[in-house]
Amino acid sequence: MTSIGTGYDLSNSVFSPDGRNFQVEYAVKAVENGGTAIGIRCKDGVVLALEKLITSKLLKPGANKRISTIDRNIGVVSSGLLPDGRHFVSRARDEAADWRRSYKAPIPTSALANRMGSYVQAYTLYSSVRPFGVTAIVGGWDLEAEVPVDGQVGSGPSVGSGGKVEGLKHGGPFLYMIEPSGLYWGYYGAATGKGRQSAKSELEKLDLAAGNLTLEEGVKEAARIIYVAHEDSKDKDFELEMTWVSSLAGPTKGRHEEVPKELREEAERLAKKALEGDDDEEEKMEE
Amino acid sequence: MNHLPQAWGRPRDDVYGAYDASHLQTSGPQQHTQSPIVTGTSVVAVKFKDGVVIAADNLASYGSLARFTDVKRLRKFNSQVVVGFGGDVSDMQYLDRLLSSLDIRENYSTTETPLNAKNLHTYLSKVMYKRRSDFNPLWNHILVAGLEHENKPFLASVDLLGTTFSSPTLATGFGAHLAQPILRRVVPDEATVESVSREQAVALVKECMKVLFYRDARSLDKYSIAVVTKDGIDLKEDEKLESQSWAFAEGIRGYGTQVN
Amino acid sequence: MASVFSGAPPQGGPGYSFSQTRIATSSGIREHSFYPYTDNGGSTLGVSGADFTILAGDTRSTSGYNINTRYAPKLFKIGGEGPDGTGARIVLSVVGFAADGDALKERLDTIVKMYKYQHGKPMSVAACAQRLSHILYNKRFFPYYVHAILGGLDEEGRGALYSYDPVGSYEREQCRAAGAAASLIMPFLDNQVNFKNQYIPGSGVGHALEQRVPEPLPRKDVEELVKDAFTSAVERHIEVGDGLQMMIITKEGIQETFSELKKD
Repeated sequence: MTSIGTGYDLSNSVFSPDGRNFQVEYAVKAVENGGTAIGIRCKDGVVLALEKLITSKLLKPGANKRISTIDRNIGVVSSGLLPDGRHFVSRARDEAADWRRSYKAPIPTSALANRMGSYVQAYTLYSSVRPFGVTAIVGGWDLEAEVPVDGQVGSGPSVGSGGKVEGLKHGGPFLYMIEPSGLYWGYYGAATGKGRQSAKSELEKLDLAAGNLTLEEGVKEAARIIYVAHEDSKDKDFELEMTWVSSLAGPTKGRHEEVPKELREEAERLAKKALEGDDDEEEKMEE
Repeated sequence: MNHLPQAWGRPRDDVYGAYDASHLQTSGPQQHTQSPIVTGTSVVAVKFKDGVVIAADNLASYGSLARFTDVKRLRKFNSQVVVGFGGDVSDMQYLDRLLSSLDIRENYSTTETPLNAKNLHTYLSKVMYKRRSDFNPLWNHILVAGLEHENKPFLASVDLLGTTFSSPTLATGFGAHLAQPILRRVVPDEATVESVSREQAVALVKECMKVLFYRDARSLDKYSIAVVTKDGIDLKEDEKLESQSWAFAEGIRGYGTQVN
Repeated sequence: MASVFSGAPPQGGPGYSFSQTRIATSSGIREHSFYPYTDNGGSTLGVSGADFTILAGDTRSTSGYNINTRYAPKLFKIGGEGPDGTGARIVLSVVGFAADGDALKERLDTIVKMYKYQHGKPMSVAACAQRLSHILYNKRFFPYYVHAILGGLDEEGRGALYSYDPVGSYEREQCRAAGAAASLIMPFLDNQVNFKNQYIPGSGVGHALEQRVPEPLPRKDVEELVKDAFTSAVERHIEVGDGLQMMIITKEGIQETFSELKKD
């Protein structure tokens, strides 16, 4: 790298003459070594999936979950330095609780992404800290139903003033990705970590913007994409971790939960089959 | 109106006497709740062989004024616990938010077993006892209904002093006087619980709600009722008292229009 | 004109409620109307023997004339493992304000457990008794409103019984009754356990009459005494009844029994 030896990469919060913050770029490098994490915004929910690389055979399978619940309706998956991810989650939970204290209602996914974006960005400003070594994907379902605020006791007048705007739509599935710089965007599909390139190209094929993909299809696609993304680091073992969040009418009833074991295993079976299918085609071509 | 704009709309000292500035208490001792303001009346509950039935009416009174008539005083905690609140409504709302944040924190991890009714009752009793010890009580009498380990029915109470007790039948406030004797006639002890069916328990609680409406002036004929079993919570929040009979009112003598 | 809009009203006019802006004055200290105690009724007693101690308490819990429940234990195993208190060798009984009693029980239980974990041996009853006194005394300005009785076996294996007032004053005794019916039960125990007012027939006249010398009673006799004490108390005291919980501490451990009392 050209920056080495110039000194501009030694301190956080210092720009290089060509306008780069090298510490942030190094943080991005840390993310690029992490297991692949993706999020898919389906029409009726959001799926988060993670390629959890197994660093030791002594770790208990299925334990040490990496996808976290923030508020009841929001989940976070991150790639990069694990402890940084933990701290990110801890802060996000505090933000969600703080929002509830102020507004007596769950935090909207967009507001959480905004607050966490600001928080991560603050770690690029001071020489006494280093930027977050994670890229986090935030997925949530903002409740579409008319819900009472926490602790509400009455339902208000059934007639008269205090009316609602007819036909106003709110809530739905939301997906954001926050990078070490603090940059965040809302996405239809997001991918980060080692296998992000192949994951992204797979996500693009899904035409998520059309909004046709159902949550259950999304789960299967997410599993497949993680398996595809894992192709490049095949030598390492991994576990697939998946969570989802749907509407009140959906399978998770508006809550962020782990994908049930049966569904996950079915998705994994299909993912493996799809990969084998690809291999067969390649073999045929070779013939 | 006079030439003193400061006086407009304010009580005159020569008419009403000087305002007692001690009410403002800017430098006086820190004041805590001295009495409840908006209140809910009785909560009644009874165990049966597979779970617990709990009910409370939908009224929040402001003194003798029936202030709010659609107040839900039974709160679901999770799929196996319902908490019923009597007493101050704002303290109930505080506790509801407290329990909601507790539930969120409990669900950060999906692997652990969820809090059961017994756990929640212990938690609430510590909260209530701490607040009374700080001379800042939460002015409630609470019933916790649900299941404990191995899906055993659980029913216990905690009040503003942090006093706790458990019984096959419980009732707070006026219900302790009016409902409890009716409940105890059917379910006198823990051994009887095994022989009480869900239908019997629901009918019994409904009967109590009716008696309370007859005799408790701070009660309402609209109420909430919840049945907690291992299959989950069946909570109805908009029930109406059925088959009331005011025939007994004819026989009441000694006040009102009938003086003797 | 300026005076009209200045915060303070002109002098000499009629007094208005805002006439003095010194809202800071408080008319002395106001008393709290919240009273943090209640009496949950019930009674307890303890008797120590040569190689055992018996503690007993009724299981009724009251608020005024209401019965909260017919089963609220007042006897607690201290320092045992798990919800059943397995392996405990000390029993605490508390009567008075039940919430304070529960809080006290949990503190003592934790302390005795911590002692065991830190020192690798169970706490002696004498040490536990003094620790309990300190806990109570430490809160003397906002006392645990309970009468506690602690029972176990001393280092020599003899029955040990300690009784307390709410602020930690304590004493080792042969027997003690506490709670609502203490005044009914205590004289009975004085007479039956310590043989008070019992004289040896024919030993003399007037002051020469010899006191019957107290000696430790056998366990069977004490159990009968306890039951008699409670059945009598139930007859005369409305806050006592429903059930009788007994714990008998011997070198074999703690034996717990329950028997019915009148529910009226």
